[in-house]
Amino acid sequence: MKCMSALSTLALACVFAIAHAQQQGPSDPQIAGIVVTANQIDIDAGKFAKSRSQNKEVKDFAQLMITDHTAVNRQAGALAKKLGVTPEDSGTSKSLKQEAADNIANLKKLKGAQFDKAYVDHEVAYHQAVLDAIDKVLIPSAENAELKGLIVKVRPAIATHLEHAKHLQASLGKK
Amino acid sequence: MKFVPERLEVAAADRITWTNRDFVPHSVTAKAAAIESGDLAEGKSWTYVASKPGEIAYICRLHPVMHATIVVK
Repeated sequence: MKCMSALSTLALACVFAIAHAQQQGPSDPQIAGIVVTANQIDIDAGKFAKSRSQNKEVKDFAQLMITDHTAVNRQAGALAKKLGVTPEDSGTSKSLKQEAADNIANLKKLKGAQFDKAYVDHEVAYHQAVLDAIDKVLIPSAENAELKGLIVKVRPAIATHLEHAKHLQASLGKK
Repeated sequence: MKFVPERLEVAAADRITWTNRDFVPHSVTAKAAAIESGDLAEGKSWTYVASKPGEIAYICRLHPVMHATIVVK
């Protein structure tokens, strides 16, 4: 599998393809680990964008990502505690962390409108990749009904974020 | 994420109550009609009394892709 592309969309697709390509899907502790990691990545990117961007719409979106993904992780943490599941690292969660580090490193090189565009473009790609992973890997693989239920409950938020990010992307493109 | 129902018909002076059944905060916002619930956390409710006949288009200020309408008869 070629995962060397500098394009974040392709890199993300590769990250989730790793999970999809596994003969057996991730275990419940691994799914919990992927959920927590995927949320934390977007919280961290949001915090960075909020401090770096000068665009109110972008800053508001970044704050929304911090608020909503923190709420998801609060739910995930509470459920993991209730079920006695310790989130586990996996190839997918490690790849996600690496891709996130690459994204932040790339964003650190940019300023102004270039920064806003790169952050929002990545948010579109990221939420699309997460949505695909939810549908193709996480929901089909989750064995525990409450864990599966949490992912089903989270899905509309990811879909709404994706739509919001696409609107923002279109709006930045017009400026 | 959406308002349910996305279109609601009411009579003037009816009380409309929104309850946030999601785990992230939402708002009921219509700038043109000067409606602003503030941020509603999970489980919180907010009530508005429709006064004049007409259509009020509103959004969630936090998630502006969420749209809905109240029709006051």
